[in-house]
Amino acid sequence: MSKNFGSIRAVDNVSISIRTGEIYGLLGPNGSGKTTLIRLFLGLLRPTSGGIRLLGEKIPNKKVLGKVGYMTQASALYEELTVRENIAFFAQISGHYDRKWIDEVIELVDLTEREKSPVRTLSGGMRQRTSLACALAHHPQLMLLDEPTVGVDPQLRVTFWSYFHQLAERGVTLVISSHVMDEAERCHRLGFLRQGRLLAEGSAADLRHKQHAATLEEAFLKFASVREKGALP
Amino acid sequence: MNGKRVLTIALRVIRQVIRDRRTVALIVLGPILIITLGSLLFRAKQAKIPLGVVDQDQGITSPVTGSLNLGQRIVEELDSSDSLSISHLSRSEADDRLKDGTVQAVVLFPEDFTQGFLKTQQVILDLRLEGSDPVKSRSIQALVAQGAMKGLANLGNRNLNGGTGGSGGELQPVNIQTTYLYGGREFDTFDYVAPVYIATIVMFFVFLLACVAFLRERSQGTMERLAATPTTRGEIVLGYMIGLGIFALLQAAVILFFTVWVLDIHFYGSLAILFLIIALLALVGVTMGIQASAFARTEFQVLQFIPLLILPQVLLGGTFWAVADMPVYLQPLAYVMPLYYANMAMRDVMLKGWSLAEIWPYLAVLIGITMVFILLSTLMMRREVA
Repeated sequence: MSKNFGSIRAVDNVSISIRTGEIYGLLGPNGSGKTTLIRLFLGLLRPTSGGIRLLGEKIPNKKVLGKVGYMTQASALYEELTVRENIAFFAQISGHYDRKWIDEVIELVDLTEREKSPVRTLSGGMRQRTSLACALAHHPQLMLLDEPTVGVDPQLRVTFWSYFHQLAERGVTLVISSHVMDEAERCHRLGFLRQGRLLAEGSAADLRHKQHAATLEEAFLKFASVREKGALP
Repeated sequence: MNGKRVLTIALRVIRQVIRDRRTVALIVLGPILIITLGSLLFRAKQAKIPLGVVDQDQGITSPVTGSLNLGQRIVEELDSSDSLSISHLSRSEADDRLKDGTVQAVVLFPEDFTQGFLKTQQVILDLRLEGSDPVKSRSIQALVAQGAMKGLANLGNRNLNGGTGGSGGELQPVNIQTTYLYGGREFDTFDYVAPVYIATIVMFFVFLLACVAFLRERSQGTMERLAATPTTRGEIVLGYMIGLGIFALLQAAVILFFTVWVLDIHFYGSLAILFLIIALLALVGVTMGIQASAFARTEFQVLQFIPLLILPQVLLGGTFWAVADMPVYLQPLAYVMPLYYANMAMRDVMLKGWSLAEIWPYLAVLIGITMVFILLSTLMMRREVA
């Protein structure tokens, strides 16, 4: 599919299929179209051409969204409400409220002690964690996480990733965008995104191997330069 | 204190304001709009007050004085007044016309009006006022008294009483006996304005609340999150209407109790109906706020809607100027102001003690406006929530 904003082609002929239970990393620099792609998946944007299926349903489809967890890049929370109230709100609005599950989610993001604090009193990292908890609140089958680990300290980042893997083992599919290459190693499969185009797709090892690169970063740069040369007449 | 830094700050502030073109435009256009409306309203030529006359006066014919019909004379004087427009009514029509508001007052001249005057040396006028607007009531009383005096003056030196009692000095020559259909002598201007005050305040605050709340929903990104849930636009609008509507009702309750019991305004109708009207108006305010929020990026821009959306409603919605007193070309505007319908209904309930059976047309219009606004605010959200 493609998406134009006026004359800007934000997503250019991208075709992606994500398997159930895998962690798919959308990797690319700022402005490469990661957020646009995620918003297209959710039906928040309509593709200029092409189409999307999510969990077997054609998008846009409101019902499917009940099974999808979404975490925006900047934390989107109700400042006056407490941590728990925010999480409970998103669980209820998505049609699946389970008190025990919410306790578990709050524990996961390590906010049990602050669950009664209004969001406006939290630090940036705590907001990010609350945001993740909100995306998890309704027990989604598919999670679309837009740069979830920005502003999270290294220790908690490890916790996040181990939890992402636990979720994947339980059959939850995760799409995670990032511009941090070393995080990408932990995804099952990766998509390199640059200027709205999908440069390459595959596991981290595959991608490194293809370009005889020692690091993912190197591989990415090589893919990018090949693409540019190829585009020249 | 460093002058350069002060200047730098001043320059930056100026640059910021200029970048916000809408603010610049509204700083100029908002006041012009309001002041133009004000001048049109204040300078409007006062419309003639419709006055009904029931003239059954038989007059008298005596060999000494010739024929005399005092009732007719007074009616002629009233008719020549620039401020009154006279319609002749039958006795049976009078009450109905007062009730439906097509005349503001009726003067009754009984069959023996002239005879009575000759006997008592006093003009006793039976004036029946509609009464809900105290200012109007007073000016009608004054105008009628004036007409009666003139009618008497024109009699000149005709010796009507045959010289029996020339010493009528202690008696007021004109005695107006006023009865009120609504309101009464004790009603003052505040009684007239208070009901619409309440309506205006409630709508104003709930509008601001909704507008700012919705704006924040967008600026803090939660609208985007809501859009990514099964929630529909209609559900969001209705949720806001209920949530903020409750606060509007609480506020209305406080204002209402305060005005009725502390400020002691005169009050006839049922509190329940008043609440219904305010609730409807609050819903209009919420939906108006949601629609307006689509056109604002900052909370300051929300404030700019006040001269555009709120003040015109107050000026043209019959709050201080009765619609009939407004310039003719402005009158149609009153009927597109939601506040007008609430104002009329509130006034009828509080001052006249009217019930649902009489005010339902206003409520029907308010419900209609609410429906249309719900639809519009749902459509306005299209960009955010698919």
